[in-house]
Amino acid sequence: MNKSDISNPERGKTLVLVLTLLNTVLIAAVSALQVDATIRANQANRDSQYYAVQFTGSLIQTGARSDYDLNTYSMLLTNTQEALVAEYTAMQRQNANDQQGFEALTLESQIYQARADRAGSLSFLMTDPAYAPASDQVLPNITAYLSDLNSYSLELVQKQNDASDAYHRWNNKSDSYVAVLTMLAIAFFLLGVAQMVQPSVRLLFSSFAIGVISIGILWTLILLVF
Amino acid sequence: MEKPKEKDNRLEVWIAILIALVSLTTALATWRTASLGSKAGDLIYQGLLNAVKRQAAANEDWRRAYEEAGYARDYLVNLDGLIVQENSTDSASQEHAAQLRTYLLPGMESLATPLGKDPSYLTPEGWLNVQKRFDELEAQSSDLSSLDPLASFSQADTYYAEQRWLVLGTILITVSLFWLGLSQLSHLRSRILILVLGVFVYGIGLVWSLGVEFVFFILRGGVL
Repeated sequence: MNKSDISNPERGKTLVLVLTLLNTVLIAAVSALQVDATIRANQANRDSQYYAVQFTGSLIQTGARSDYDLNTYSMLLTNTQEALVAEYTAMQRQNANDQQGFEALTLESQIYQARADRAGSLSFLMTDPAYAPASDQVLPNITAYLSDLNSYSLELVQKQNDASDAYHRWNNKSDSYVAVLTMLAIAFFLLGVAQMVQPSVRLLFSSFAIGVISIGILWTLILLVF
Repeated sequence: MEKPKEKDNRLEVWIAILIALVSLTTALATWRTASLGSKAGDLIYQGLLNAVKRQAAANEDWRRAYEEAGYARDYLVNLDGLIVQENSTDSASQEHAAQLRTYLLPGMESLATPLGKDPSYLTPEGWLNVQKRFDELEAQSSDLSSLDPLASFSQADTYYAEQRWLVLGTILITVSLFWLGLSQLSHLRSRILILVLGVFVYGIGLVWSLGVEFVFFILRGGVL
C-alpha cells in the first residue's frame, strides 16, 4: 500500500460514482431500445406470416381463375374450328352433289358456331376491353391478362419479403442490444470492484470500466444509425 | 439530543424498508411488462390462426365458385348448340335434340345451378359473375369468413405500445432501486442526498407506470 492510499483512501470514489450513474442511465436507455427492437421484430414477423398466408390464397384464386378463363377461351377456339371444318366439308359435299351430306354438315357447323358464340360471350378474354382482340384476325392480349392476374400475388410477395427482411433486421438489432447490455453489466461489475479496492488499483479498474462503457456507447450508436 | 450513530441506524432501517418496497414494485412492474408482451404474442398467435382459417375457407369458396362457373359454362354452351339442333328442319336431328334435352340436360342443369340458371349472375359484358357467387359462398360460411385477424393484430399493437411505455417506468423504478442500494452503503451526508434522489426517481417511475396503465385501460375500453 503506498502513502497516498493511506492518506486518502476515498480517492477516485467520486469518479466511480459518476461512472456508475452514467452506466445506469446507459443501461436504462439500451434496455428501452432492446424492448422496442424486439417489439418491432415481432410485428414484422407477424406481418411476414400474414402476407404469406394471403399469398397462398392469392395463388389459389388466380390459379382457379386462369384455369376457368383459359378453358372458356379454349372452348371458343375448339368450337370455332369445328364449325369452320364442318362448313368447309359441307361445301365440298355440295360440290360433290351430295345434298344430304351438305345439309347435315351445315347443321353441324351451325351447332358448333352457336356453341362458339356462347363460349365467346362467356369469355372474359373476349369481352373485357382491356384484353379483347380488336378484330377477328388477332388474339386477345393474354400477356396483359396474365400480368394483371399475377400483379396482386407479386405485390404480396414483395410485402412479405420486405416484412421478412425487417424482421431479420430488428431481430439482429435486438440480439446486439442484449450483447451491449451484457457489456454494460460487466462495466457494473468492474465499477463495483473499483469501489472496493485500494485507490491505486481503483483507477485501473475504473479505466477498464470506461473502456467497456465506451465500446457499449459506440456499439449502441452504430445500431441506432444502421 | 440524538447521537449521529443512532440516527444513522434508524435511517438504515428506513432505507431497508424502502428497498423492500421498491424491489416489490420492480418485480410487479417487470411482471406486468412481460405479461403485456405475452398478451400481445397470444393475440398475434390467435390472429395468425384466424388468418389461416379464413384464408382456407376463402380458398375453398374460390375453388367452388370457379368449379360451379365451369359447370355453368358447359351447360350454357351445350344448351345453345341444342337449341340450334331443335330448331333445325331435320327430323333425326330434332329427335336427337329431344333425347339430349330429356337425358343429358337435367344433369348438367343441376350442376350449373345457380350460375347457369339465374340471369342475375350474368354481367352486362356477358360473362359469369363469379365474384357474386364467391360473396354468397363467403356469406354462407360466415363463421370462418367473419374472422378478423387484423382486429387481433390491432389489439396486440395496443399491448405492445403499452409495453413500450411501461418499460420506461420499470427502468426508472429499477434505477431508483440502484440508488437506494447505494444510499444504504454510503456515509451519512451523501446517503441522504442519494436517498432523496432514489425516492424521487422511484416516485416518477411509479406515477409514470400507473399513468400508462390507466391511459391504456381507458383506450382499450376497460380491458387490462
